[in-house]
Amino acid sequence: MIDFLIGLFLASLIVALFTTRLYRLLLWYSLNSFTLGLLALGIGRSIDDNAMIITGIITIVIKAIAIPYVLKNLSQKFHFVRQITPEIKVQYAIMLVPAILVFTFYLSEPIVHMIHTNANYVAVSISSLFLSLLLMMEHKNVAPKIIGFLSMENALFLLGITATDGMPMLVELGIFFDLLMAIVVINLLFHKEELRV
Amino acid sequence: MMLTLLLLPAFIMFGVSFIKKQKAKYLLAFTSFVILLPIVKLFLLPKPYNILGSYLVADKLDTYVLLVSSIVGIGVTLALLTLDKHVKISQKAYRKFYRFFAIFWIGLIFSILSNHMGIYWIGLELATLSTVYMIKTNYTPAAHKEAWNYMIVGAIAISLVLFGIILMYASAKPILGEDAMNFDLLLAHAKDIPSPFLFEMGFALTTIGMFVKMGFFPMNLWLANIERASFYPVAALFSGILESAVLVGFFRFSKIAMAVNYDHLFIFVFVYTLLTIFIVSFLIYRAKDFMRLFSLSGVEHMALIVMFWVSGAPFAALLHFGAHAFLKPALFLSTGVLESNGKYKIAGALRGYKGFKGGVFWFLVSLFLLAIISLPPSPMFFSELYGFGAMIATAKESDHMLAMIAAILFLLILLSIIFYRFVAIYQSMKYEGEIKEKTVYGSELFSLVIFAISLISLLLPQTLAYLHAIS
Repeated sequence: MIDFLIGLFLASLIVALFTTRLYRLLLWYSLNSFTLGLLALGIGRSIDDNAMIITGIITIVIKAIAIPYVLKNLSQKFHFVRQITPEIKVQYAIMLVPAILVFTFYLSEPIVHMIHTNANYVAVSISSLFLSLLLMMEHKNVAPKIIGFLSMENALFLLGITATDGMPMLVELGIFFDLLMAIVVINLLFHKEELRV
Repeated sequence: MMLTLLLLPAFIMFGVSFIKKQKAKYLLAFTSFVILLPIVKLFLLPKPYNILGSYLVADKLDTYVLLVSSIVGIGVTLALLTLDKHVKISQKAYRKFYRFFAIFWIGLIFSILSNHMGIYWIGLELATLSTVYMIKTNYTPAAHKEAWNYMIVGAIAISLVLFGIILMYASAKPILGEDAMNFDLLLAHAKDIPSPFLFEMGFALTTIGMFVKMGFFPMNLWLANIERASFYPVAALFSGILESAVLVGFFRFSKIAMAVNYDHLFIFVFVYTLLTIFIVSFLIYRAKDFMRLFSLSGVEHMALIVMFWVSGAPFAALLHFGAHAFLKPALFLSTGVLESNGKYKIAGALRGYKGFKGGVFWFLVSLFLLAIISLPPSPMFFSELYGFGAMIATAKESDHMLAMIAAILFLLILLSIIFYRFVAIYQSMKYEGEIKEKTVYGSELFSLVIFAISLISLLLPQTLAYLHAIS
C-alpha cells in the first residue's frame, strides 16, 4: 500500500509538470498532498507513532484541502491567468523528467545504503525535490511557482517521514506554521498589487 | 520569564503598529530600545543559561550576536523616523513595515538562541518570510518583482537548509533519538555518529542553502538587486541582523562538522568562499551605485568571516562579524542622504554638508568607508591580521603550506582590487562632482553615532577578552 502511495505521490508531481491549466495544477497539488498525508498515516500506524499520525491528519486538512482552496480563491479574487504554459516544451520535458529521476536515484545511492528503513523512499523524495524545482523554473507565472515551492515543502516532508521515521512533533508543527505564514505573505503580496492598480 | 521579556518588546511593537496616530512612530522607535534591556540582563547571567529547557539556550556566542543585532535594530528604527524625508512612503506601509519587523525580530530571537536545529530553521524561515513584505513596502514594480524573487530564491535556500537538517538528524538519530536535533548533544557525540557521510552530505546542503541566502557563489547578485529595489533600512536589516542569524547557524553546524571531519569541511568551505570573493571582487570593481557596492562588499565580508571561522580563527571571525554588523548597516542607512543627488551619482556625494550635523555626518561616513576596507585602527584590520595568521598556523600543521600561501596571496590580490575601488569611490565622493546642499536629520545622525560608538567598543580590552572566551 505504501509503495502504491509513494508511486502516486511521484506520479501526481510529474503530471503537474505537464499541466497547462491553473485549477488542474491545484488539483494535482492537492492529490500530491493527500497521498503525502496518507503516507504519514500509513507509516505512522506501522511504526506506532501517534505524532506522525497527527501530522498526517494535519497535512490532509491544511495542504490537501485548505491551501488549494485558499489559492483558488486568491486566483479568482485577483484574476490570475489560468492558462499556464510551461516554458520547456513537452517533448523536452518528457526526456528531462526521467533523466532527473535516474540522476537522483544515482545521486542518492550512497545515502540509501545508510538508511535502513524506507531507503528507496528517500530517493523518491530527493527526486521530488528536483522535480519541484523544475516546476518553479519552467513557468513564468507566479502561481505555478508558488505551487512549485509548496511541492518542494511536500518533498522535504516526505524525506522527513521516510529518512528519519518522522521529525519531532515540534518541528513538524513549526513547519506547518511557517507554511501558513508563507500563504499570508503571498496573499499580501497580491493584495498590495491590487491596491496599487 | 526571560523568554517573555525578550519577546515582549516585539509584541508591543506589533500592537503599536496598529495605532494610526502620527506620533506612534516615536513609540515604535522607543520600543526597539526596550529590546536591549533583557539582552543586557542576559549578558549578566551565568552561561549557558537555559531559557526554554534544552530548546533555547543562551551561551556567550548567542548573547554576543543578540546584543549586536539589537544595537543594529535600534539604529535602523532611529533612521526609520526620517525615512519619509528621503523616500516616498505611505503611513500605512510604514506601520506595516514595523508590524513585519516585529515578526522578523521574534523569528530571529528563536533562531539565534536555539539549541535545536528544527527551531533554528523555523525562526529563520519566519524571519525570511517577514522580510518579503518589508521589501514590498516600496510600491514600485521593481520592488514588487524583487519581493517575489526573494520569496522564491529565499524559499529554495531555506528548503536546502531544511533538507540538510533532515539528513543530519537522520545520521545521528540511531544513537541520540529525537535529541539528535540538539546542537550541544550532536557536538558531544560527533565522533560517534554512525553515518558520518550522511552527516557531511546534510552539512554540505545546509551550508549551500545558507551561502545562497548570504549571496555567495553562484548567487552573487540576487541580494544586491533586492537591496537596490527596496528601501535602504531593509538592506541594513539584511546585512546587520538576518545575515547574522544565518552566520550563527553556520557557526553551530560547522562546529559539529569540524568534529566529524575537519579536512573535508575546510576544503569545501575554503574553496567555496575563495571562489565567492574572486567573483565578488570584480563585481565590486564594476559597481556603479552605493547600494550594490555595499551589498557586494557585505558578501565579501561574510565570505571572509566564514573563511576565518573554518581556518581555526574564531576570534578573528567574531571580531570581523561584529565590525561588519555595525559598519554595513551604518553605510546602508547613510545612503538615504548620500543618494540625495540621485541613485547612480557617486561623484560629489560627500560634498555640500553644512553646519554641525553635516560635518559630523561627513566625518562618520568617511570613517565607516575607510573602516570597511580595513584601514587601521578599524577592528577589521585586526581581525584580518588574526585571520590570515591563523590560516598560516593551520597550514603549518598540514602538508599544504605552499597551497595556503598561494591562496592567501591570491586573496590579498582580490582584496586589493576591492580596496582600490573603495578608495577611488571615496575620492570621487569627496573631490569630484557638483556641490549641492544636503540635509541630515538628527535621528539618522544619532543612529550613526551609535554605530560608531559600538564599533569603537569592539576594540576595548573587555570586548576582546569576551570574544576570546567565546572562541
